[in-house]
Amino acid sequence: MNKENRHPLHINTKKCVGCVHCMTSCPTKAIRIRDGKARIIGEFCIDCGECLRFCPQDAIDSHTTSFSDLNAFKYKVAIPATVLYGQFDNATLPNEILFALRRVGFDSIYELSTICELNSAATEKFLNSHPRPRPFIASTCPVVVRLIQRRYPTLIDLIVPIEPPREIAAKILRANLPRVLKVKPSDIGIIHITPCPAKMVSINYPVSMEKSYLDGAISIRDIYKPVLQALRQSKDEAIMSRLFPETIFSGLGLGTALSGGETRGLKNRRTVAVSGIQDTIRVLNQVEMGMLRDVDLLECMVCPDGCVGGPLAVENRFMAKSRILRLVSLLGERSVVDDSDTNALYQKNFMSFTHSLKPVKATPLDADPVRAIQKAKHRNRIIKQLPGKDCGACGAPDCRTLADDIIRGLALLTDCPFMMKEKK
Amino acid sequence: MTEAVSFQQEFKVKGGDFSRGGEASCEIKNLLRDLGLDPQLVRRAAIACYEAEMNIIMYAWQGQLDLLVTPHRIRIIAEDKGPGIADIKQAMREGYSTATPEMRELGFGAGMGLANIKKNTDTFRITSKVGRGTRLELTIKTNGRKA
Ligand SMILES: Nc1ncnc2c1ncn2[C@@H]1O[C@H](COP(=O)(O)OP(=O)(O)O)[C@@H](O)[C@H]1O
Ligand code: SF4
Ligand code: SF4
Ligand SMILES: [Mg+2]
Repeated sequence: MNKENRHPLHINTKKCVGCVHCMTSCPTKAIRIRDGKARIIGEFCIDCGECLRFCPQDAIDSHTTSFSDLNAFKYKVAIPATVLYGQFDNATLPNEILFALRRVGFDSIYELSTICELNSAATEKFLNSHPRPRPFIASTCPVVVRLIQRRYPTLIDLIVPIEPPREIAAKILRANLPRVLKVKPSDIGIIHITPCPAKMVSINYPVSMEKSYLDGAISIRDIYKPVLQALRQSKDEAIMSRLFPETIFSGLGLGTALSGGETRGLKNRRTVAVSGIQDTIRVLNQVEMGMLRDVDLLECMVCPDGCVGGPLAVENRFMAKSRILRLVSLLGERSVVDDSDTNALYQKNFMSFTHSLKPVKATPLDADPVRAIQKAKHRNRIIKQLPGKDCGACGAPDCRTLADDIIRGLALLTDCPFMMKEKK
Repeated sequence: MTEAVSFQQEFKVKGGDFSRGGEASCEIKNLLRDLGLDPQLVRRAAIACYEAEMNIIMYAWQGQLDLLVTPHRIRIIAEDKGPGIADIKQAMREGYSTATPEMRELGFGAGMGLANIKKNTDTFRITSKVGRGTRLELTIKTNGRKA
């Protein structure tokens, strides 16, 4: 566990008061309280951001790309998640937001909804040419991929091996911008604007490719204020952007910010869309037990309602969702991606994973099978001894986890205040 | 000799309790994973447990899964008090099911459960007394484990 910390979320020990909110909200039981402060166990963390959502002290920092990091690049390119369009008031149109991003310091902005539509079309082609197995699982949410690698290793081959829109977009830009702009490739910084910390992990430690095509990810939280200011200052630009809309938006693609968005584009397919971490875990359990075999594509988004519910978004997800739905209905279902383009890229495997996903094995109770059995028995004896109150006072989220920690040598029976009393 | 080392645990299952359906088998799955068993093996055991658990929930009044793990095998005994099965051969047939429309609504009743249990285990024995209950005895060989 002494590996470098690969996770973007860090406990700010100055702000952390050691309450148990994050610990009890963590779906993988990755948090312990030690010496009055929360600690994240890297091996168990899947970067879902639930802890960040539940921390009342704002004591969980998200190490995403900062503005000053952008200075490393002469030419700065932004690829905002479509969730961004739902963050500002109803009167603010996507074009204005893209204009404002330019004012904030990006040299160019690439709109993602078209690529989201391309990704859906590619997924459809993949499903057509792979009648079995079922159900395939969409790979867009990096947390779902990480969860499957760790908790559902037997489902790895069900993940659609097509890169998410943000990577496809960055790959297209990488291939073309140096030539178009006549700029050195290393001078170009391609930055995703994201509602979640997990993108940072998928950029820094990709699992389906050698190296990410993105250089970083700025959180919506961090960019919100500057964009808002720019929107206020640039009234004239706003008028211009309305009169000369320079970007083509895809209604189909824009909808992917919401749960069910990816499956909506697949017209003749049986699909199921699930959102929220608990329901995602539930449905993956079912798939592992052999259910949902009649479903072509399962879309799981660990955030409530999909990426609009991302932990680093600013606007509450109901408002954001309502705005995005409005944009989707304004734009309509008209396809903006040419089928022949999709075909060409699909045939070249341009959008495919280049590395196959590998399971990440959980550490067993013991490497030796006989001792593992003995430890499991011992763990059950400890569970019987503990009071079963799941109070969290020991620093573990529940009695069962404390017993597990004790067996693994990470905690003591006397960490439980009720056990101390009995000892006296 | 190492067979003397064993882990045993019982999991109660209540008939009709669909809301908690799958909990016992999920717990068993986590336990087998903690023991370091191969994921495919864990999945086979979990599927067998899940189908047995759901059958108790769907058709019986109450029952339990009894798990025994030794270094070389997993044994599961699923036993219930319930209506029993009059014609076992028929019940084993793929596609045969007496599930109610409500159960089918929930996605059960494909008639593949018992066949799936058999497919995923190395030994499979089923006995049943009409009006009394049903007992499944299943084993999966683990043959130690590659570390
Ligand atoms: N524990 C049980 N008690 C009583 N009847 C059972 C039990 N398990 C299975 N059966 C009977 O056998 C049939 C086939 O079971 P199974 O293969 O699991 O398919 P399904 O559960 O989809 O019907 C059931 O429909 C039911 O009539
Ligand atoms: S990001 Fe998710 S998995 Fe990681 S510690 Fe927070 S709640 Fe747990
Ligand atoms: S649902 Fe979207 S915002 Fe949430 S973790 Fe997954 S990709 Fe990130
Ligand atoms: Mg059944």
